[in-house]
Amino acid sequence: MDERFDCIIVGGGIAGLSAAITLARANVRFLLVERGEWSGAKNVSGGVLWGRDLATLVPNYWEDEDAAFERYVAHRRLTFMDDGAAFSLDFKSNHFDEAPYSGVTVLRSRFDAWLAGKAQEAIDASSVADESLIATDVLVRELIVEDGKVCGIRAGEDAFYADSVILAEGVNNLLTRQVGLQTEYVPATGLAVGVKEVIRFDAKVLEDRFQLSGRRGMSNEFVGYATDGVEGGGFLYTNRDSVSVGLVLGMEDLRRSRKKPYDLLNGFKQHPVVADALRGGEVLEYSAKVVSTGDLRAMPKEVYGEGVLVAGEAANLVLNAGRAIQGMDFAMRSGMLAAETVIEAVRAKDFSTAIFTHYRTALDASYVMQDLRGFQDAVKVLHSPEMFTAVPRLVCDFGREFFTVDNRPTKKAWQILRDVRKEHLSYWDLVKLGAKASRAL
Amino acid sequence: MSNADASVRPLTIAERLGKVAYRNQGRSAATPHIVVDTAICNSTCPHQCTTYMCPANCYTLDDVGKVHFQFEDCIECGTCMYACDQGAVAWSYPDPETGRGVNWNAG
Repeated sequence: MDERFDCIIVGGGIAGLSAAITLARANVRFLLVERGEWSGAKNVSGGVLWGRDLATLVPNYWEDEDAAFERYVAHRRLTFMDDGAAFSLDFKSNHFDEAPYSGVTVLRSRFDAWLAGKAQEAIDASSVADESLIATDVLVRELIVEDGKVCGIRAGEDAFYADSVILAEGVNNLLTRQVGLQTEYVPATGLAVGVKEVIRFDAKVLEDRFQLSGRRGMSNEFVGYATDGVEGGGFLYTNRDSVSVGLVLGMEDLRRSRKKPYDLLNGFKQHPVVADALRGGEVLEYSAKVVSTGDLRAMPKEVYGEGVLVAGEAANLVLNAGRAIQGMDFAMRSGMLAAETVIEAVRAKDFSTAIFTHYRTALDASYVMQDLRGFQDAVKVLHSPEMFTAVPRLVCDFGREFFTVDNRPTKKAWQILRDVRKEHLSYWDLVKLGAKASRAL
Repeated sequence: MSNADASVRPLTIAERLGKVAYRNQGRSAATPHIVVDTAICNSTCPHQCTTYMCPANCYTLDDVGKVHFQFEDCIECGTCMYACDQGAVAWSYPDPETGRGVNWNAG
């Protein structure tokens, strides 16, 4: 193929497919290459896709019988746990039932395949249907760089050329490194390891156990015993007829701990509260993934270069600021924004870096970078050792005393709090942490 | 707590990997996508951390404490590429035709 595309997208995950749909709708000629046998074959996430951008990409997706999201999040829970107890903040509200939903659980192998179908539909409906293409089973070996400008990809014996390349290659961003936007060796700082199991249940059992009806689902995050003292947290999300249960473990702290991620996952699953939720299920799949933590220091030096734009987790666009682990929504938005810059370049017939900086400007102006910058302190607080050791223990000790009636004179809540605080944290540590957390979150 | 159910019984890593669908399993020899200079692991490395951090247990210690690596069970997560700070791990993606690697069913 010697024809030149307007754009080549590397990676058919959420960022790449969001870019593809956006380009197709603007009648831009592109090639999307995905190294998996199908879109999603190589993708793993926790996973909740937060926010409402999916409704922009696929309008009224919730009315589509075949829409490959699992459940929409109608029930949220944050659980602090020690070895025997769990103290949860639990929130359920009927406003979550209103479409477009503000979060859907997904299994990527299915969800991405469906989204790729939507991208193909967008291509078919475009005026350049014969000139755009989604190709799977294609591994990009390297970017073609001429005079310092990225102008194509090399895959096997083949070379493909384009005026622009969007790198949506995921967290293990080898091509982003090739062009010097990311350092050659990326240290473990600011990265985490995610391990997960998908456990199957009859839908009826699942719905009864988690009090779900229709497509309603629950998201539950865990801090404390979940990770056995290692920096990180746990999660449990309900899918249609399975749950996704797993841990995200700070990589540096895991190295220091000398613990194995799958042993920690066993420990988490055996906690009484988690074991109760999982009883009788059948493990379908075990998976693992490197996860960015939202630490800006792990980000590429820049999200654009000559001829190239970086979107999704290839740019380490993930944030856990305590309210939700956001990554797939960042991928979606950044993919759309990168595509919009390419559309602008195609219309202006100008693929210079001056135009590509507009992607940076748009990303900075969007909630993605606003939140990533605005919640850096939250990322630091959440990664401080107290947050996954002393704090959850304190919360659980408080709960044990507060919720136990034993026919003896009862302490007031402030007395319980005072007494349990002494066991776990110095007064000043608590004040400092409280002050930091209240500002940061 | 009863731990009789499969969902709560601790699974071994072998049981877990048994639930992963790998590509090109029929091929007699697949091309390795990760090359590890175990001479570094077994001489100057102070932690040999891949032997406990790898979620697929591709890095193992033998009876005399030497590190061995196999790529066949690799689930392409990338952990070892960051965890190894000794320059022993040369990481790339498996070739769709000749390599190994995963096909996630759920993901």
